[in-house]
Amino acid sequence: MSLILAQACLPVSEAADSPVILRSQGISKAFGGQKVLDGISLQLRRGEVVLLRGDNGSGKTTLLNILSGNIEPDAGTINLSANGSTEIFAFPRPWWKQLNPFDHFTPERLAREGVGRTWQDIRLFSTLNLRDNIAVASPDQLGENPLLALFKNSAIRKQETSNLTESQEMLEDLGLGTRVTASADRVSLGQSKRVAISRAARAGARILFLDEPLAGLDGAGIKQVLNMLEALVRDENVTLVIVEHVFNIPLLLNWATTVWTLKRGHFSVQLPAEVQEEVKADGVNNLRSWMLELAGSDGQIIDRPLAGGATFSTVIPSGRQPGKVLLEVSRLMVHRGSRLIIGDGSNHPTEGMSFTLREGEVCVLQAPNGWGKSTLLDAIVGLLPISNGEIRLRGQPIQSLSAWDRANLGLTFLQSRNNTFSNLTVEESLRLTEQVSLPESLSPLLTRKISDLSGGQKQKLAIYTALRSDQSRIRLLDEPFSMLDRASIQQLQSTLRPGTGEAILISIPGNPEIQGDGKSEYE
Amino acid sequence: MNYLLHLLIYLNIYVIVALGLNIIVGYCGRLSLAQAGYFAIGSYAYALASVKLHWGFLPAVALGAGLAALLSLAISLPSWRLKGDFFVMVSLAVQVVILSAIYNWYRPDAQLGTWLNLTNGPAGISGIPRPDIFGIKFDTIGSLAMLATVTAGICLTLGALLLRSPWGRVLQAMRDDELAARGLGKDVRLLKLQAFAIACALIAVGGAIYGAYVNFTDPSIASLDQSVLMLCMVIIGGMGNFRGPLAGALTLLALPELLRFLNIPIALAAEVRLMAYGLLLVLMMHFRPQGLLGSYRIE
Repeated sequence: MSLILAQACLPVSEAADSPVILRSQGISKAFGGQKVLDGISLQLRRGEVVLLRGDNGSGKTTLLNILSGNIEPDAGTINLSANGSTEIFAFPRPWWKQLNPFDHFTPERLAREGVGRTWQDIRLFSTLNLRDNIAVASPDQLGENPLLALFKNSAIRKQETSNLTESQEMLEDLGLGTRVTASADRVSLGQSKRVAISRAARAGARILFLDEPLAGLDGAGIKQVLNMLEALVRDENVTLVIVEHVFNIPLLLNWATTVWTLKRGHFSVQLPAEVQEEVKADGVNNLRSWMLELAGSDGQIIDRPLAGGATFSTVIPSGRQPGKVLLEVSRLMVHRGSRLIIGDGSNHPTEGMSFTLREGEVCVLQAPNGWGKSTLLDAIVGLLPISNGEIRLRGQPIQSLSAWDRANLGLTFLQSRNNTFSNLTVEESLRLTEQVSLPESLSPLLTRKISDLSGGQKQKLAIYTALRSDQSRIRLLDEPFSMLDRASIQQLQSTLRPGTGEAILISIPGNPEIQGDGKSEYE
Repeated sequence: MNYLLHLLIYLNIYVIVALGLNIIVGYCGRLSLAQAGYFAIGSYAYALASVKLHWGFLPAVALGAGLAALLSLAISLPSWRLKGDFFVMVSLAVQVVILSAIYNWYRPDAQLGTWLNLTNGPAGISGIPRPDIFGIKFDTIGSLAMLATVTAGICLTLGALLLRSPWGRVLQAMRDDELAARGLGKDVRLLKLQAFAIACALIAVGGAIYGAYVNFTDPSIASLDQSVLMLCMVIIGGMGNFRGPLAGALTLLALPELLRFLNIPIALAAEVRLMAYGLLLVLMMHFRPQGLLGSYRIE
């Protein structure tokens, strides 16, 4: 797969000869006095595939937001010529320019200039079906003028028919021909990500900024998204700037033409080959290596394959005997709305899900997107009612208890998203969870509001509060490694060792082969 | 029979209002409390144009709708930046300003329709003539019911054409995720100006028909109670489609009529009606937050 991708995009030398379509100089941005970007100058060429990397809080998302018009930089210039015409934005903008409502630096203006972006949290239009999600992106639709829409003349009807047909064809190309009228909130993560990329392309993006397009996807999902991006570069010569999670960086290094690295607000440009060496040198343990390390020489890893391509692995660390049962789940069936998720007979046994978590064990549930990992954890901690089965905590049935009662009995849950209180400061959040000691990495952030933190910083805070809570003994962690940088993952891996009377259950998207060193099923 | 025709006229008026308000609440995702103000603008503009300028039904209604569309800037401009509670507060302020203007824009010694006395204050404007279209008089309750039904039908058709067009689709996209819509190059500011102007114009059409039917208009139609009643129609009926506002208007209009048959003393009837509205709202929020027939629930 990596070889195919390498041929699909422009070779490095050819990309270097392509015209520059975006140039920025001296871009700086500070939040609350803290400088996030410091005088960054960069350029983007047509057909280039750029991997943007950096530690948590290094400013990756801020840079993406600036280059896509979502926030204004404090200083610098941006020179954009993606669509043929050239636009120059200089910052800070004089006050009189701010008064002109038609001359703002906004995402809609940059989108019309050929700059598109996708978000980490996808942001499809949830009440529109998949076809309309793509059709709505088409630029210059006559029917978007209400006066013309009223008369609905033949030109409008023709344009709309062709827009809907083309949007449907795009969905068919994505293998979603049977889901054309499916609501956007009823499709899997991988499908949503592909629709979001198609939508941006439909809007006419010549430069596409992608925020973690592979995050949370299983192997098949990653393959589909990469194929799609490859086609965009090959067939339409679109320029890509991709921010990706550290686990997936090796996959993109085989394909990218340039690597941008952000470190403490400073910026450097590297060749993928140089970065590949670096990644090999300090590679993060992939999940399996970490489990082996955790088990130690005399420990045990018991893999239990589950229906739907999932695996439930139990790690019993070296020198420990299986302890007493802390959490016991029997014949669990869970609905989400009217849909049976756990125990539906396709992804799970028809009699429901059963497993035990014993003292001292670390269990890892790896399953594809849409399998129901989050649903299972939500049900165990009491955020979703169960339809059938039993959950016992230290022998006591807890399914009739509320979520807070279960938490008080020692269940801690780290949700995969929305796991922090965005309106609190870091200090308030730590105080709320009765933390006494402060981690070094969080100390400089104490007075900052959580909504102002980067995705990785938020995840670090959430993990810290979930792991340090003294009253907890059984920790359920839903995708804990997402959004973390290399150092944070290493630190987390070293922390995930249950003490006496403790156990941990981790859920991970089911793509074990592509974690860590990039040795994937696609290579 | 007259009683049923009376109900039909009211139903048509509130269907038009709920249709307009649904554009703001159900398609733009903004909870508003200013609608009674725009209803009153339509009613007063119609009254003044027909009483003082002797305009016919159509130009008088068009004046009210145009004026309301223009004054919709008072809520559409703040909606560029505000949503949620902040937008509700702004819309409440607009409603209060309109109500105050209607109450106070008069001098007892000045003639109605002059700059010194535009609204006749608390006394309101009486003697509004029956509609007259191209010489045809609508002066019986049956003909008025027909006029109201046709007007509501036209409004519904226009609404259907608009909301099922690419314009309606981009409006829904903006409601679902404004930032994502902007990222696709959609001018959400222009969209909001258009949507609020169309919505307020429709609400004003409802107000004009009300004035034409009752022959009288006064400041009470611009009260907060009226705004809440109109909002309840949209929330209870359901937002984001056509069926919802129709069901809401029908339900909230039928409810007080049903209460009449319970022989509740007149002194208590108004309170009981308000309690019933409140109870219905609480039940809907709990059991069916998207409304009876809605396809969207406001956050």
